[in-house]
Amino acid sequence: MKLMGPYPWALPVIIRRFRRFLPWLLVGCSFGIVRWSKGAFFADTYAFLSRPFWPGTAQREWIQAGQRLENKSKISLLEKDNARLRGLLSLQKSFRNNETSAAVISRKTQGWSQQFELSKGSLQGIAKGDPVMGPGGLVGVIDSVTPLTSRVRLLTAPGSRIGVWVPRSSHHGLLLGRGTSRPQLIFLAKDPLVMPGDLVSTSPVSTLVPPNIPIGIIQSVDNLAIPAPIAVVQLIAAPEAIDWVQVKIR
Amino acid sequence: MIPVRLHKRPICLASVLMVPLLYLGAPNWLKLSGVTPCWAVLWLLPWALEDGPLSGICAGLFLGLWIDGLSLDGPTYIPTLMLLGFWWGRLGRRGPPIERSYNLGLLGWIGSFFVGLSIWVQIMFIEMNTPLDWIHSWGFYTLLAQSILTGIMAPIIGSWLLLLWRGKLSS
Repeated sequence: MKLMGPYPWALPVIIRRFRRFLPWLLVGCSFGIVRWSKGAFFADTYAFLSRPFWPGTAQREWIQAGQRLENKSKISLLEKDNARLRGLLSLQKSFRNNETSAAVISRKTQGWSQQFELSKGSLQGIAKGDPVMGPGGLVGVIDSVTPLTSRVRLLTAPGSRIGVWVPRSSHHGLLLGRGTSRPQLIFLAKDPLVMPGDLVSTSPVSTLVPPNIPIGIIQSVDNLAIPAPIAVVQLIAAPEAIDWVQVKIR
Repeated sequence: MIPVRLHKRPICLASVLMVPLLYLGAPNWLKLSGVTPCWAVLWLLPWALEDGPLSGICAGLFLGLWIDGLSLDGPTYIPTLMLLGFWWGRLGRRGPPIERSYNLGLLGWIGSFFVGLSIWVQIMFIEMNTPLDWIHSWGFYTLLAQSILTGIMAPIIGSWLLLLWRGKLSS
Protein backbone atom coordinates (compact mmCIF):
# COMPACT_ATOMS: atom_id res chain seq x y z
CA MET A 1 0.00 0.00 0.00
CA LYS A 2 2.93 2.33 0.70
CA LEU A 3 4.01 1.91 -2.86
CA MET A 4 0.62 3.22 -3.81
CA GLY A 5 1.32 6.51 -1.88
CA PRO A 6 0.65 9.91 -3.47
CA TYR A 7 2.45 10.47 -6.73
CA PRO A 8 4.44 13.80 -6.75
CA TRP A 9 2.77 14.99 -10.00
CA ALA A 10 -0.66 14.20 -8.90
CA LEU A 11 -3.33 16.83 -9.64
CA PRO A 12 -3.87 17.96 -6.05
CA VAL A 13 -0.20 18.78 -5.69
CA ILE A 14 -0.22 20.94 -8.83
CA ILE A 15 -3.26 22.79 -7.61
CA ARG A 16 -1.68 23.37 -4.22
CA ARG A 17 1.50 24.79 -5.77
CA PHE A 18 -0.50 26.92 -8.20
CA ARG A 19 -2.44 28.40 -5.32
CA ARG A 20 0.85 29.37 -3.72
CA PHE A 21 1.95 31.17 -6.89
CA LEU A 22 -1.40 32.69 -7.72
CA PRO A 23 -0.93 35.99 -5.82
CA TRP A 24 2.40 36.56 -7.50
CA LEU A 25 0.86 35.78 -10.82
CA LEU A 26 -1.86 38.36 -10.22
CA VAL A 27 0.69 40.95 -9.16
CA GLY A 28 2.71 40.26 -12.29
CA CYS A 29 -0.38 40.58 -14.49
CA SER A 30 -1.38 43.83 -12.87
CA PHE A 31 2.08 45.26 -13.52
CA GLY A 32 1.76 44.04 -17.09
CA ILE A 33 -1.54 45.87 -17.42
CA VAL A 34 0.01 49.00 -15.97
CA ARG A 35 2.81 48.76 -18.51
CA TRP A 36 0.42 48.06 -21.36
CA SER A 37 -1.85 50.98 -20.45
CA LYS A 38 1.06 53.33 -19.89
CA GLY A 39 0.00 53.80 -16.31
CA ALA A 40 -3.34 55.27 -17.28
CA PHE A 41 -5.11 54.43 -14.05
CA PHE A 42 -2.34 55.89 -11.89
CA ALA A 43 -1.97 58.98 -14.01
CA ASP A 44 -5.71 59.64 -14.02
CA THR A 45 -5.97 59.00 -10.31
CA TYR A 46 -3.08 61.33 -9.70
CA ALA A 47 -4.72 63.98 -11.84
CA PHE A 48 -7.99 63.61 -9.98
CA LEU A 49 -6.37 63.80 -6.57
CA SER A 50 -4.02 66.65 -7.40
CA ARG A 51 -6.63 68.81 -9.16
CA PRO A 52 -6.94 71.25 -6.22
CA PHE A 53 -3.22 71.89 -6.41
CA TRP A 54 -2.98 72.55 -10.14
CA PRO A 55 -1.46 75.88 -11.30
CA GLY A 56 -4.18 78.56 -11.08
CA THR A 57 -5.32 81.19 -13.56
CA ALA A 58 -2.70 83.57 -12.23
CA GLN A 59 0.05 81.54 -13.78
CA ARG A 60 -1.86 81.26 -17.06
CA GLU A 61 -2.18 85.05 -17.12
CA TRP A 62 1.55 85.37 -16.54
CA ILE A 63 2.15 83.16 -19.53
CA GLN A 64 -0.32 85.11 -21.67
CA ALA A 65 1.20 88.41 -20.55
CA GLY A 66 4.58 87.03 -21.52
CA GLN A 67 3.24 86.03 -24.93
CA ARG A 68 1.72 89.49 -25.43
CA LEU A 69 5.03 91.09 -24.54
CA GLU A 70 6.79 88.78 -26.94
CA ASN A 71 4.32 89.62 -29.74
CA LYS A 72 4.66 93.33 -29.01
CA SER A 73 8.43 93.19 -29.20
CA LYS A 74 8.17 91.13 -32.41
CA ILE A 75 5.84 93.76 -33.95
CA SER A 76 8.21 96.51 -32.88
CA LEU A 77 11.14 94.69 -34.49
CA LEU A 78 9.13 94.02 -37.64
CA GLU A 79 8.07 97.67 -37.85
CA LYS A 80 11.68 98.77 -37.54
CA ASP A 81 12.67 96.22 -40.15
CA ASN A 82 9.84 97.38 -42.40
CA ALA A 83 10.86 101.02 -42.02
CA ARG A 84 14.45 100.12 -42.86
CA LEU A 85 13.38 98.19 -45.96
CA ARG A 86 11.05 101.01 -47.05
CA GLY A 87 13.98 103.37 -46.60
CA LEU A 88 16.10 101.13 -48.81
CA LEU A 89 13.35 101.22 -51.44
CA SER A 90 13.33 105.04 -51.16
CA LEU A 91 9.59 105.08 -50.36
CA GLN A 92 8.40 108.36 -48.95
CA LYS A 93 7.96 108.24 -45.19
CA SER A 94 4.61 110.00 -45.08
CA PHE A 95 3.20 109.08 -41.68
CA ARG A 96 4.53 109.77 -38.28
CA ASN A 97 3.48 107.33 -35.63
CA ASN A 98 0.94 109.89 -34.53
CA GLU A 99 -2.78 109.41 -34.22
CA THR A 100 -5.65 110.95 -32.34
CA SER A 101 -9.00 109.49 -31.40
CA ALA A 102 -12.18 111.43 -32.15
CA ALA A 103 -15.88 110.88 -31.51
CA VAL A 104 -18.35 110.64 -34.38
CA ILE A 105 -20.74 113.54 -33.65
CA SER A 106 -22.79 113.26 -36.84
CA ARG A 107 -23.22 110.34 -39.16
CA LYS A 108 -24.69 110.06 -42.65
CA THR A 109 -24.07 106.59 -43.98
CA GLN A 110 -26.81 106.57 -46.62
CA GLY A 111 -28.14 109.18 -48.98
CA TRP A 112 -26.42 111.60 -51.35
CA SER A 113 -23.60 112.58 -49.02
CA GLN A 114 -22.02 109.80 -46.94
CA GLN A 115 -19.91 111.34 -44.24
CA PHE A 116 -18.90 111.53 -40.59
CA GLU A 117 -18.45 114.69 -38.57
CA LEU A 118 -15.68 114.21 -36.01
CA SER A 119 -15.22 115.99 -32.71
CA LYS A 120 -11.68 117.17 -33.49
CA GLY A 121 -10.32 119.51 -36.13
CA SER A 122 -7.34 121.51 -37.24
CA LEU A 123 -6.56 122.65 -33.69
CA GLN A 124 -5.76 119.04 -32.88
CA GLY A 125 -3.55 118.74 -35.97
CA ILE A 126 -6.04 117.05 -38.30
CA ALA A 127 -5.72 118.07 -41.95
CA LYS A 128 -7.45 117.32 -45.23
CA GLY A 129 -6.44 113.94 -46.62
CA ASP A 130 -5.66 112.30 -43.26
CA PRO A 131 -6.84 108.68 -43.14
CA VAL A 132 -9.49 107.70 -40.60
CA MET A 133 -9.47 104.28 -38.98
CA GLY A 134 -12.35 102.47 -37.35
CA PRO A 135 -12.18 99.29 -35.32
CA GLY A 136 -10.93 96.75 -37.86
CA GLY A 137 -9.72 98.97 -40.66
CA LEU A 138 -9.89 102.10 -42.75
CA VAL A 139 -13.29 103.88 -42.94
CA GLY A 140 -12.48 107.00 -44.94
CA VAL A 141 -10.37 110.07 -45.50
CA ILE A 142 -10.71 113.59 -44.08
CA ASP A 143 -12.50 115.75 -46.65
CA SER A 144 -12.49 119.11 -44.87
CA VAL A 145 -11.61 120.52 -41.46
CA THR A 146 -12.73 123.35 -39.23
CA PRO A 147 -10.85 124.38 -36.09
CA LEU A 148 -12.99 122.09 -33.92
CA THR A 149 -14.47 119.50 -36.28
CA SER A 150 -13.51 117.51 -39.33
CA ARG A 151 -15.55 115.84 -42.05
CA VAL A 152 -14.78 112.34 -43.28
CA ARG A 153 -15.59 111.11 -46.76
CA LEU A 154 -16.50 107.47 -46.17
CA LEU A 155 -15.11 104.75 -48.42
CA THR A 156 -18.70 104.03 -49.45
CA ALA A 157 -19.39 107.61 -50.62
CA PRO A 158 -19.62 108.33 -54.34
CA GLY A 159 -16.36 109.96 -55.38
CA SER A 160 -14.23 108.08 -52.86
CA ARG A 161 -11.16 106.55 -54.54
CA ILE A 162 -8.35 104.69 -52.82
CA GLY A 163 -5.57 102.52 -54.17
CA VAL A 164 -5.71 99.07 -52.58
CA TRP A 165 -3.86 95.80 -52.63
CA VAL A 166 -4.86 92.14 -52.40
CA PRO A 167 -2.05 90.52 -50.37
CA ARG A 168 -2.80 86.92 -51.36
CA SER A 169 -2.46 87.48 -55.08
CA SER A 170 -0.26 90.59 -54.83
CA HIS A 171 -2.41 92.65 -57.19
CA HIS A 172 -3.27 96.33 -57.06
CA GLY A 173 -6.70 97.84 -57.60
CA LEU A 174 -8.77 100.96 -57.16
CA LEU A 175 -11.50 100.98 -54.53
CA LEU A 176 -14.43 103.17 -55.60
CA GLY A 177 -17.28 104.30 -53.36
CA ARG A 178 -20.58 103.61 -55.07
CA GLY A 179 -23.18 104.83 -52.60
CA THR A 180 -24.06 101.39 -51.26
CA SER A 181 -22.50 99.86 -48.17
CA ARG A 182 -20.13 97.79 -50.33
CA PRO A 183 -17.56 99.66 -52.44
CA GLN A 184 -16.38 98.40 -55.79
CA LEU A 185 -12.84 97.25 -56.50
CA ILE A 186 -11.53 97.71 -60.03
CA PHE A 187 -8.39 95.72 -60.75
CA LEU A 188 -5.57 97.06 -62.83
CA ALA A 189 -4.55 93.62 -64.14
CA LYS A 190 -6.61 91.56 -66.56
CA ASP A 191 -6.26 88.41 -64.48
CA PRO A 192 -5.97 89.41 -60.82
CA LEU A 193 -6.32 85.82 -59.49
CA VAL A 194 -8.58 86.82 -56.61
CA MET A 195 -11.50 84.97 -55.13
CA PRO A 196 -14.27 85.70 -52.62
CA GLY A 197 -12.85 85.78 -49.12
CA ASP A 198 -9.56 87.47 -50.04
CA LEU A 199 -8.43 90.30 -47.80
CA VAL A 200 -8.17 93.80 -49.27
CA SER A 201 -5.72 96.21 -47.63
CA THR A 202 -4.08 99.52 -48.40
CA SER A 203 -1.14 99.25 -50.72
CA PRO A 204 2.23 98.45 -49.09
CA VAL A 205 3.78 101.28 -51.12
CA SER A 206 0.97 103.76 -50.41
CA THR A 207 1.93 107.24 -49.30
CA LEU A 208 -1.57 108.75 -49.25
CA VAL A 209 -2.87 106.33 -46.63
CA PRO A 210 -0.86 104.20 -44.19
CA PRO A 211 0.42 101.02 -45.86
CA ASN A 212 -0.93 97.53 -45.08
CA ILE A 213 -4.09 98.64 -43.29
CA PRO A 214 -6.95 96.13 -43.69
CA ILE A 215 -10.01 97.47 -45.48
CA GLY A 216 -12.38 94.65 -46.30
CA ILE A 217 -13.05 91.22 -47.71
CA ILE A 218 -13.86 90.46 -51.32
CA GLN A 219 -17.45 89.32 -51.50
CA SER A 220 -17.86 88.59 -55.19
CA VAL A 221 -15.76 88.86 -58.34
CA ASP A 222 -16.87 89.58 -61.88
CA ASN A 223 -14.07 88.24 -64.07
CA LEU A 224 -15.95 89.03 -67.27
CA ALA A 225 -16.11 92.78 -66.65
CA ILE A 226 -14.53 95.00 -69.29
CA PRO A 227 -11.84 96.39 -69.40
CA ALA A 228 -10.69 94.64 -66.19
CA PRO A 229 -12.30 92.40 -63.58
CA ILE A 230 -14.20 94.06 -60.75
CA ALA A 231 -15.08 92.89 -57.26
CA VAL A 232 -17.49 93.91 -54.54
CA VAL A 233 -15.85 94.47 -51.16
CA GLN A 234 -17.44 94.10 -47.74
CA LEU A 235 -15.82 96.61 -45.38
CA ILE A 236 -14.41 95.30 -42.11
CA ALA A 237 -15.19 98.52 -40.23
CA ALA A 238 -18.91 99.13 -40.88
CA PRO A 239 -19.58 102.90 -40.70
CA GLU A 240 -23.09 102.42 -39.30
CA ALA A 241 -21.77 101.08 -36.03
CA ILE A 242 -18.74 103.24 -35.29
CA ASP A 243 -18.81 105.81 -32.50
CA TRP A 244 -15.09 106.50 -32.16
CA VAL A 245 -12.37 106.61 -34.79
CA GLN A 246 -8.63 107.09 -34.96
CA VAL A 247 -7.26 109.78 -37.25
CA LYS A 248 -3.72 109.17 -38.48
CA ILE A 249 -2.06 112.56 -38.54
CA ARG A 250 0.54 113.14 -41.24
CA MET B 1 -52.34 147.74 -44.29
CA ILE B 2 -48.89 146.77 -45.51
CA PRO B 3 -48.24 143.08 -44.79
CA VAL B 4 -45.24 142.39 -42.60
CA ARG B 5 -42.86 140.08 -44.42
CA LEU B 6 -41.44 136.97 -42.84
CA HIS B 7 -37.84 137.94 -43.45
CA LYS B 8 -38.32 141.08 -41.38
CA ARG B 9 -39.22 139.01 -38.33
CA PRO B 10 -36.08 137.65 -36.66
CA ILE B 11 -38.07 135.00 -34.81
CA CYS B 12 -39.38 133.61 -38.12
CA LEU B 13 -35.93 133.79 -39.66
CA ALA B 14 -34.46 131.94 -36.68
CA SER B 15 -36.53 128.85 -37.52
CA VAL B 16 -34.13 128.17 -40.40
CA LEU B 17 -31.57 127.07 -37.80
CA MET B 18 -33.50 123.83 -37.55
CA VAL B 19 -32.42 122.90 -41.09
CA PRO B 20 -28.66 122.43 -40.49
CA LEU B 21 -29.36 121.04 -37.05
CA LEU B 22 -31.58 118.32 -38.46
CA TYR B 23 -29.28 117.82 -41.45
CA LEU B 24 -26.43 116.93 -39.11
CA GLY B 25 -28.25 115.27 -36.26
CA ALA B 26 -31.52 113.76 -37.43
CA PRO B 27 -32.52 110.86 -35.19
CA ASN B 28 -32.70 107.41 -36.74
CA TRP B 29 -36.47 107.15 -36.35
CA LEU B 30 -36.85 110.02 -38.82
CA LYS B 31 -34.94 108.08 -41.48
CA LEU B 32 -36.07 105.57 -44.05
CA SER B 33 -33.33 102.93 -44.34
CA GLY B 34 -30.76 105.55 -43.39
CA VAL B 35 -32.07 108.20 -45.81
CA THR B 36 -33.31 111.45 -44.26
CA PRO B 37 -36.03 113.72 -45.66
CA CYS B 38 -34.86 116.82 -47.52
CA TRP B 39 -34.94 119.27 -44.62
CA ALA B 40 -34.18 122.25 -46.84
CA VAL B 41 -37.30 121.58 -48.91
CA LEU B 42 -39.42 121.15 -45.79
CA TRP B 43 -38.44 124.63 -44.59
CA LEU B 44 -38.32 126.37 -47.98
CA LEU B 45 -41.83 125.28 -49.03
CA PRO B 46 -43.84 127.20 -46.39
CA TRP B 47 -41.37 130.09 -46.43
CA ALA B 48 -41.66 130.67 -50.17
CA LEU B 49 -45.44 130.17 -50.16
CA GLU B 50 -45.76 132.80 -47.48
CA ASP B 51 -43.04 135.28 -48.43
CA GLY B 52 -43.11 135.39 -52.22
CA PRO B 53 -40.82 134.53 -55.14
CA LEU B 54 -37.97 136.96 -54.48
CA SER B 55 -37.68 135.91 -50.86
CA GLY B 56 -37.99 132.26 -52.04
CA ILE B 57 -35.07 132.67 -54.43
CA CYS B 58 -32.91 134.28 -51.74
CA ALA B 59 -33.88 131.65 -49.17
CA GLY B 60 -33.09 128.92 -51.71
CA LEU B 61 -29.69 130.45 -52.38
CA PHE B 62 -28.80 130.79 -48.70
CA LEU B 63 -30.10 127.33 -47.83
CA GLY B 64 -28.20 125.85 -50.76
CA LEU B 65 -24.99 127.50 -49.65
CA TRP B 66 -25.54 126.27 -46.12
CA ILE B 67 -26.28 122.67 -47.09
CA ASP B 68 -23.38 122.63 -49.56
CA GLY B 69 -21.14 123.79 -46.74
CA LEU B 70 -22.26 120.88 -44.59
CA SER B 71 -21.87 118.27 -47.32
CA LEU B 72 -18.92 116.69 -49.06
CA ASP B 73 -17.37 118.51 -52.00
CA GLY B 74 -19.13 117.79 -55.25
CA PRO B 75 -22.77 118.31 -56.18
CA THR B 76 -24.59 121.50 -55.21
CA TYR B 77 -28.13 122.12 -53.96
CA ILE B 78 -28.21 125.81 -54.94
CA PRO B 79 -29.82 125.92 -58.40
CA THR B 80 -32.70 123.57 -57.61
CA LEU B 81 -33.50 125.22 -54.28
CA MET B 82 -33.50 128.66 -55.94
CA LEU B 83 -35.83 127.45 -58.69
CA LEU B 84 -38.14 125.80 -56.17
CA GLY B 85 -38.17 128.97 -54.05
CA PHE B 86 -39.17 131.02 -57.07
CA TRP B 87 -41.87 128.53 -58.18
CA TRP B 88 -43.43 128.13 -54.75
CA GLY B 89 -43.26 131.90 -54.18
CA ARG B 90 -45.25 132.50 -57.37
CA LEU B 91 -47.75 129.81 -56.41
CA GLY B 92 -48.26 131.45 -53.05
CA ARG B 93 -48.69 134.94 -54.50
CA ARG B 94 -50.87 134.16 -57.50
CA GLY B 95 -53.58 131.87 -56.19
CA PRO B 96 -55.48 131.23 -53.00
CA PRO B 97 -53.32 130.33 -49.97
CA ILE B 98 -51.96 126.78 -50.22
CA GLU B 99 -52.39 125.12 -46.85
CA ARG B 100 -54.17 121.81 -47.41
CA SER B 101 -52.20 118.74 -46.42
CA TYR B 102 -52.50 117.11 -49.82
CA ASN B 103 -51.17 120.22 -51.62
CA LEU B 104 -48.28 120.68 -49.22
CA GLY B 105 -47.42 116.99 -49.42
CA LEU B 106 -47.49 116.97 -53.20
CA LEU B 107 -45.37 120.12 -53.48
CA GLY B 108 -42.89 118.72 -50.94
CA TRP B 109 -42.69 115.43 -52.82
CA ILE B 110 -42.11 117.18 -56.17
CA GLY B 111 -39.53 119.54 -54.64
CA SER B 112 -37.58 116.76 -52.97
CA PHE B 113 -37.73 114.68 -56.14
CA PHE B 114 -36.22 117.48 -58.22
CA VAL B 115 -33.55 118.28 -55.63
CA GLY B 116 -32.58 114.58 -55.51
CA LEU B 117 -32.67 114.26 -59.27
CA SER B 118 -30.37 117.25 -59.68
CA ILE B 119 -27.90 115.84 -57.14
CA TRP B 120 -28.01 112.44 -58.81
CA VAL B 121 -27.38 113.88 -62.26
CA GLN B 122 -24.50 115.97 -60.90
CA ILE B 123 -22.93 112.92 -59.25
CA MET B 124 -23.23 110.97 -62.50
CA PHE B 125 -21.63 113.86 -64.35
CA ILE B 126 -18.78 114.17 -61.83
CA GLU B 127 -18.22 110.40 -61.81
CA MET B 128 -18.38 110.15 -65.57
CA ASN B 129 -14.99 108.47 -65.84
CA THR B 130 -15.90 105.53 -63.61
CA PRO B 131 -18.16 102.61 -64.49
CA LEU B 132 -21.67 103.82 -63.78
CA ASP B 133 -23.74 100.67 -63.96
CA TRP B 134 -24.03 100.66 -60.19
CA ILE B 135 -25.10 104.22 -59.62
CA HIS B 136 -28.58 103.79 -61.02
CA SER B 137 -29.92 101.40 -58.41
CA TRP B 138 -28.42 103.34 -55.53
CA GLY B 139 -29.49 106.74 -56.85
CA PHE B 140 -32.98 105.52 -57.64
CA TYR B 141 -33.36 104.07 -54.17
CA THR B 142 -32.13 107.26 -52.46
CA LEU B 143 -34.28 109.47 -54.68
CA LEU B 144 -37.45 107.51 -53.96
CA ALA B 145 -36.81 107.13 -50.24
CA GLN B 146 -36.06 110.81 -49.74
CA SER B 147 -38.94 112.13 -51.82
CA ILE B 148 -41.48 109.79 -50.19
CA LEU B 149 -40.28 110.74 -46.72
CA THR B 150 -40.33 114.45 -47.56
CA GLY B 151 -43.80 114.15 -49.09
CA ILE B 152 -45.09 112.51 -45.94
CA MET B 153 -43.53 115.06 -43.61
CA ALA B 154 -44.29 118.18 -45.65
CA PRO B 155 -47.97 118.49 -44.55
CA ILE B 156 -47.00 118.12 -40.89
CA ILE B 157 -44.00 120.44 -40.78
CA GLY B 158 -45.27 122.83 -43.47
CA SER B 159 -48.64 123.34 -41.77
CA TRP B 160 -47.00 123.78 -38.41
CA LEU B 161 -44.52 126.38 -39.70
CA LEU B 162 -47.26 128.26 -41.57
CA LEU B 163 -49.40 128.39 -38.44
CA LEU B 164 -46.43 129.47 -36.35
CA TRP B 165 -45.37 132.25 -38.72
CA ARG B 166 -48.90 133.52 -39.35
CA GLY B 167 -49.47 133.63 -35.60
CA LYS B 168 -46.32 135.69 -35.21
CA LEU B 169 -47.31 137.96 -38.08
CA SER B 170 -50.78 138.63 -36.74
CA SER B 171 -49.55 139.26 -33.20
